[in-house]
Formats: sequence, structure tokens, C-alpha cells
Amino acid sequence: MANGINELFDEVINRGLCAGCGACITGCPYIVAHAGRIVALDKCTGSEGDCYKHCPRTFFDFDGVSEAVFGKAYPGGEMGQVLEIFMARATDPEILKRGQDGGTVTSLLALALEEGLIDAAVSTRMDAEKAPHGSVARSRRELLESAGACYEVGFSLEAYRSLPAESTEKLAIVGTGCQVEALGKIKREPPQNSPDPRNIRFTLGLFCGWALAPGTFHPYLKSLCELSQVCKFEIPPRPRYSFEFHFENDREAGSVSLDVIKPHINSGCHYCWDMTAEFSDVSIGSAETFPGWNTVLVRSPRGAELLALATEKGILETRELPEEKLSHLKWAALQKKRAAVEKITEKSGSKNDLLHIGRPPEESADILSRWNIL
Amino acid sequence: MANIATLKPGSTCLLMGNEAVARGVLEAGAGVASGYPGSPSSEVIPALAEAASQTDIYVEWSTNEKVAVEVAAGGSFAGIRSFCVMKQNGANVAADFIVNLNMTGIGGGGLVIFISDDPGGGTSNNEQDSRTIAKWIDNPLMEPSSAQEAKEMIKWAYEVSEAVNLLTFVRGVGRISYTRSNVVPGELPRKAQPEAVFPEIWDRNNPRKSRFTSGPFPVFHAPLHEKLEKAREIFETSPFNSYTGPEKPELLIIACGASTSYCIEGVNELNLEDRVSVLKLGTTWPLPEKLVAKHLKTTCKVLFVEEMDPFVERSVMELAAALLPETAHLTFFGARSGHLTPYGELSTDSVIGALADIMGITYQPRDRAYEEMCVEAAALVPGRPINMCPGCPHRATYWAVKNGLSLDGRNGFVCGDVGCYSMGFAGPGFYQARTMHAMGSGTGLASGLGKLGRFGLDQPVLAICGDSTFYHAVMPALANGVYNNSNFTLLIADNSATAMTGFQPHPGTGQTATGEPAKVVELEAVCRAMGATVETCDPFDLPKTIDTLLKMMAEESGVKVVIMRHMCQLVKGKRKIAPSWKMHVDGSKCLADACGCHRLCTRLFGCPGLMVDGETGKAAIDEALCAGCGLCAQICPAHAIIGEEV
Repeated sequence: MANGINELFDEVINRGLCAGCGACITGCPYIVAHAGRIVALDKCTGSEGDCYKHCPRTFFDFDGVSEAVFGKAYPGGEMGQVLEIFMARATDPEILKRGQDGGTVTSLLALALEEGLIDAAVSTRMDAEKAPHGSVARSRRELLESAGACYEVGFSLEAYRSLPAESTEKLAIVGTGCQVEALGKIKREPPQNSPDPRNIRFTLGLFCGWALAPGTFHPYLKSLCELSQVCKFEIPPRPRYSFEFHFENDREAGSVSLDVIKPHINSGCHYCWDMTAEFSDVSIGSAETFPGWNTVLVRSPRGAELLALATEKGILETRELPEEKLSHLKWAALQKKRAAVEKITEKSGSKNDLLHIGRPPEESADILSRWNIL
Repeated sequence: MANIATLKPGSTCLLMGNEAVARGVLEAGAGVASGYPGSPSSEVIPALAEAASQTDIYVEWSTNEKVAVEVAAGGSFAGIRSFCVMKQNGANVAADFIVNLNMTGIGGGGLVIFISDDPGGGTSNNEQDSRTIAKWIDNPLMEPSSAQEAKEMIKWAYEVSEAVNLLTFVRGVGRISYTRSNVVPGELPRKAQPEAVFPEIWDRNNPRKSRFTSGPFPVFHAPLHEKLEKAREIFETSPFNSYTGPEKPELLIIACGASTSYCIEGVNELNLEDRVSVLKLGTTWPLPEKLVAKHLKTTCKVLFVEEMDPFVERSVMELAAALLPETAHLTFFGARSGHLTPYGELSTDSVIGALADIMGITYQPRDRAYEEMCVEAAALVPGRPINMCPGCPHRATYWAVKNGLSLDGRNGFVCGDVGCYSMGFAGPGFYQARTMHAMGSGTGLASGLGKLGRFGLDQPVLAICGDSTFYHAVMPALANGVYNNSNFTLLIADNSATAMTGFQPHPGTGQTATGEPAKVVELEAVCRAMGATVETCDPFDLPKTIDTLLKMMAEESGVKVVIMRHMCQLVKGKRKIAPSWKMHVDGSKCLADACGCHRLCTRLFGCPGLMVDGETGKAAIDEALCAGCGLCAQICPAHAIIGEEV
């Protein structure tokens, strides 16, 4: 059976399932991201394509990817493989100012660069007009420029795919669940024309409930404010229910209700089961009711080593995540899975066809049981 | 090409048919020659232009065929023998003027139009028999059967034209225009051109016509038919009509034009000289009825051999109906009977096939084993699909269009036009051009399609035309679009030449047909003055070109023009402009069939300068063909194609 660009478009993109991770683009001359869409520029005659193989929405072999990433089968549960859970924040005031919440991601990347653990960090960077792009940072300065959250789909794995295949740079890659899933698939079946995935020393996952579709959201955002003046976007914890944009010059922040924002959610995000980026070395998100702190899930031994080094060097300070916060996190992660399964069933029209979750099909019931949502 | 002004009279010269026609124009002493390029007629004007410095003929490339005939008619009105040349499609453009010129008649100087048709359509986007126009407008028509005859016929056509005061057509075909054969030139006239003057009005002593107004038509229509009858009388004894064969043939072939020689060969090949005769008609409209009737009465079977429409066939059948019962019961063979086709080129083989069938002869042209070998040998020849030249800027333009339309994502489409960029309908232009009709039609179609938003058409509408086509027929369509507030984007593929027909100059090139400097009619200025939004791009700057296209397509109303300016690679070659890049492929980087490429350069991009190395399977540069334009380095996803600046 052919699994190339045509199938990718038939099964994923034209069905509104695309998460916008960017794994299919740049390594391929036929697929590009443009104005928030994935576009096929031409016909590719290849019957087997990395585009199809690495897409997190075509099929997902949980155990196979888990083996490739953690060396063991997929444990299931609300948040997948977890070794440690705590809260953390940066001690560096500059990072605290520029980064999101506690600045943990930027701190870890800066440390890894400084210690020579990596040569480059692949993440998302907003341009002057605050449109996200994949970017590669090789210095603390470049890292700080890519700090801060962007809530739009950014196709940012293109930055990894655009590195020369022969590159031996040691990499850290930052991504949301879909991107970390794609990286898991890439680790399992290395691409033919991108750097060896063994060069990826750290995968830092970002908690993500959904991302916004740039095609409609970005023009809307542009109508709200002078984007070049914005220094930070934020969705503050409940009970506030808003999307906020902060300005460089201490101007009063702008705010719109999430109800206005939500119609712009990228359709493919509704089919995502992975709030906590389960196939990363370390997953990082907001600590919600503890402003200025991050929640950190350490998933792999190498992730644990990096965190240990960070605390040892005093780059991060940590504290325990209160039990009720952990329960809430688990509940939220499970809700994301339930919602995804519901949407997927709606799309496929059958409880026996769970699309990307259910391929191979015999595993779908097994996965649902591991998630305890049978 | 020989300089046709310096040929020695009486000597034997090897001339292309179009050169022989040009020599005929000089021998006739014409003072004005005009035309618009179009194969198979394009070489006549350059031959005359080259001769212009030795003679006193005025030669021009006109912006289109209608203007060309008007220019020539102006010469005629002022008393100068004048000449005009075009291909079959050009006759349609010229028709609007010509169908009035028949009413006014010509001036003191004869007026001859040479139209070269293209049976088989090898160099045309239609296959059309232009002879019908002569019948349509009641003007005389002749058809030469060889280059020598073409030259003689042009000279004689002036005598006919002046005798009946009508424009006279000489109709060639590609086989006559392009074949090189022996031609014996005649003398060039020694006398100078008469003084050109537009006759004074109300001067009773001036016998020349002073008014050329086509109305009131009842006054002119009756005399036109009298003129046509006069032409018929002249044609009855024309030296270009001849008869060979027995007095009472079993079969009479009536042939004209290039087909005549196929008939003579066919009759000889089948040894039918004693049974079959050939009536060759050089004057085909009006039909020399007495001559034809005389021969119809000698036989009871008639075969018509002529290319494309059964033009003579129908005229003769009409005549035969009128002749009854003076003739025997006649059986007619030709296009109507299915013995020959009313399309495509004829050949000796096709005539032999018809003759053998009619005469009941079994004929095997080649033995079967040889035929089979031919089929096998043909299979060994690699296919050569149409393509644009290496380094052609149209490839860059269409690449940008293809990607721009995909990125735009609203199923935009391109209305094509006539020129090298017509190939946009096929692989070389990535199948982007979706219409192709007459010159300028792409823009007219876009002007109409761009108004259909009210009925739900929400796709971006694009049109493409070349620089020469722009001056030829696009300007009225562009004005129409602006005036009616249509919404489309016109791409002018400005490659600084009328490239498809042989790099003839045009109003944008700054040079006349005879090489003198000319004012440039600037594309940007014209389009801006018409009210369009204008941008200019070098299509080799793919990112900027794609961005510009996206920006133009995003505009919600109005007519936008993007001038894609890059000189034709062949013009660069002619001007000895060195290539910009020396290209090579780094085989270690080339992905070839692997994921991430799948032979983008040779499979899709398709420049003839790129090939697959049979040994390594990687892409390679065909150094014999590569023009060094550097475009492939931009499209290679693996950066394996590398250009070094030279």
C-alpha cells in the first residue's frame, strides 16, 4: 500500500486532522507551509514518504515509539512515562523576564548550550509581526530571542528538517505533544534526508491544550494590536479566562475573552490526545495557580540528569507540586484524551476506527484500556 | 540566407520558398512590404528587409496583420505596388479590414497578400484553410506549386490586381514556404517607384481614385462582382494553369498547390500516364470555369487533390451541376468520398492510395518485412516531447505561477495565449495554461472570467501573453478589463523578442525590421496609462516573483499586470551574451529517487540541460545543452546543483 504525499493529504490534511507540527515540510520540496496551511506544490511520485511516516496523525505505534524513546513499552495512564514531578523556575532574572511562566525551558537550553551538552536548540521563534517560525538557536542571545510562548501553530519542526542531513550538531528540540510524537516516530524510523535523530540529545515537551490556526487567528490578532509592539502573549490561569498580550513599554496589557479566541483553534488540535507531550525527556508547562512557576515532568534518565545539573548549578529552583495540583493535572490530561477519542469517533463514524490512535487497529482498544477510558 | 537583391538573373539559386516569394516582390517592383511574423510565413519580411538597403523598398514588421494590410493598402492608395505577408491565423486578424477593402478596391499600385497556410499544423495552434476568405470577399486567389512558381505568381498577381483593381491573394503552404529548391531569378525593375501621392479630391483631370470609402455598399457591391468576372476571364488563360495526360482520360485529377507534384509522382509510380491526366490549377478563385468545363467533358471520373478544405472540389462540383447535361455522368473522388482527408498534409503516398483504389490497382509501396523493420526502428528513437529551451525564462515564469497558485490555494488558473509560452498547456509549463485560442484571447477571456465573482467564481484569474502578443492584440483586452473593472492578473512574459517565430523585433525592442533604431513603446508605461497596477519581476528571482504573484492575486479588485522581464536565452546566444553560471551537480548530495526529491529536476522541472547519469543514477548537467541560467540551483531541494559564477 502506498503511503506518500497523496495519502497524507487524503487522510490527514484534507480531513482537518493536521496538527501543524511541521514534520512533513522542508525536508520535502513538494510540501510547504504557507499562511498557516500545509500546501502541496506538486505531485511526488514516491509511494513511501517520510511525510506520511512521521506525521503524528497518520498512525501511531505507542509501544514502538516508546521503545525508541524510552527503551520500554508505553505505560499509558493520564500522562505516560513519568519519573519525577515538581515545580521549577529560573533563577536568572533576564530569563524570568523573557521566558514564559518560570522560564524553565529557556534555562535548561541555556545550560545545555553552556555545558556543551548540545550545540543548537531547535524551537519556535516569533518574527517581528509575531508569526511563529521554526528556529535554531546556537547562543544564549539567540535563545532569549526565541523565548516566550506563541499560541499559534508554527510548523516549527521544519527547523530540524532544514538542517543539513550530514550535520553532526548535538541538538535539543522543544515542541508540543504533536511535535514530540513526530520526533518519536523520527527516532523510530530515521528520515532519509535530515540529521541523524541520535543527535537529538534532549526533547523538551511543552504542555498544550490546543494551538490557534494562523490562517484566521493571525489576521484577527493583527486587527487587535500593533503586533510589533507586543513582547509577550499569555493565557493566565483560571479564574481569569482570557488571552492577553503585553507590551514592551509598560503599556497596559490587552485582553480578550477565550470565547472569542476559541473559534480560531486549529481543527487538528481537537484530535490530539497528548496534553503533556508524553514522548519527551522533560515536559514543562504552567504551574497554573503558582504564577511565575512551571510544572515539570521528568520522563527519561537523561532528562533527570539535565534537571539535576540545573538544580546543582543553581540555575533552577524547585519545589514540590501539591497533591491536589497533580490530581488536577492528571484530570486535565485525561480529559484531553477523552475529548480526542470522542472527536476521532465522530470523524471516523465508528468506535472501532480510532484513526491515528487506532493504527495498527488491534492496538486501539489496548491503548484505551491503558488510558482507562474504555 | 542569400541576399535576394543580389541574385544574378538567369542563374540557378537554391532558395527557400519564402525567399522566392520575397524575390518575386522585388521583381514586381513593389515599394511597400509589411507583415507580422508567423510560421510558415516568417522569412519573407526578413529577406525583404535585408534587401531593403540595395533597393528602394520600404519594409516593416507591423504590430499585427490587420495593421500590416492597412499599411500596405496605404501604399497602394498612394500609387505604390505594395505587399503584405502573414500566416493563416493572421488572415483572420486582417479580415476586418479586407472585407471592406474589397468594396473600395485598391489604389493605383497593385496589392498582393501572401498567406502561408500550415496543413498539419506543425507550427500553429490551429489548422485552417485561408482560401475561403478569397471566396468570402470575392477577390482573386492563386496557389503556387513550387518556389519558382511562387516567385512568378507574385509578379503576375500584381498585374491581375491592377487589372481588376482588387487585392489579390497568393496562398502558400508550409511545404512551399520552407522547402529549399532551385529558383531562377528574373530581372529586377530598373525604373524608380512612381511618386507617392494620395489623389486629390474633385480633380477631374486625375484619373486616379481619390476616395476609398466602403459605403454606400450597394454602389460598390455590383462592380465588385463585375471585377470578379473580369478576373475569371483573365484566369481562363493563366500561364499557371496547365494540363498533362491523354485527351480522354479514365480519370481526371484536378490538383493545386503543393499537392500537384504528389499527383505527378503518383501517376508515374503507378504507370498511369496513358490513363490518368492532371489538370493543375494555379488560379483557384474565381474558378476558370471554361477551362475546367472543357476538361470535365473529356472524362467521367474526377479526383480532387488539394490540402485541407475541399475548396476546388466544391467549386467544380457546383460547376458540374450547372453543366449538366453537357458532361457525362461524373463520379467525384476526393475529400467528400473519403479518398483523401480534408485535414493534415497530403503526400505522394496518400495520392497513390487514392489512385490505386479508384483505378483498381493493388499497390504495395514497400515490402512487408521492410515496413516491419521501419516500425521497429521507429520504436528505438526516444520520444521528443515539446519543450522550452534550456535557460528559457518562461520555465521560470511558469514555475513561479505553479507554486504561487498552489500557495494561494484558491484554484487560480491561467488563460494562455499564443507564443512560446503556449507550451504552458503541457509539461514544459507544468500544465498551467488552461486556454489557448487566438492572439490576445487569454486576456479577453480573463477580462470576462474576472467579472464572474457575482456568480460565485472566487478563483484568482490570471492571463499570460508575450511582449509581441501584447502589442498585437492584448492592449484592447487589457483596456476592456480596466474599463469594466474586471479582476485579473495579466503576466506579460517579456523576453525582448518575438521569440517563437525567429526573434523578430517589435514595438518594445527599440529596433525596426530593417535594423534602424526605433522608439520603445514601453510596456510599464502603456499598462499604467491604461489604469492597471503594474509590477516588474525577473522570473529568475523565484521568491520575489512568487511573492509578487501572491500579492497581486490577493488584491480583491482591478486589473493587475506583472511584467516578467528576462531576455530569451536564444536572443542572448545570438547577441553572444555569455552564460551567467557554470553548473555542476554534487552527486554525493543529489537525492535522486530518494524521499525528499524524487527527481524534481528531471521529472518535473524538465529543463533539457538536466539529465540522469546512467551510471550513478544521479542528476547531471548536459553541458552541450546547459545555458548556464542557474535556475535549477534554486529548485534543487538538496542543494546538489551548484552554479559557479563565470
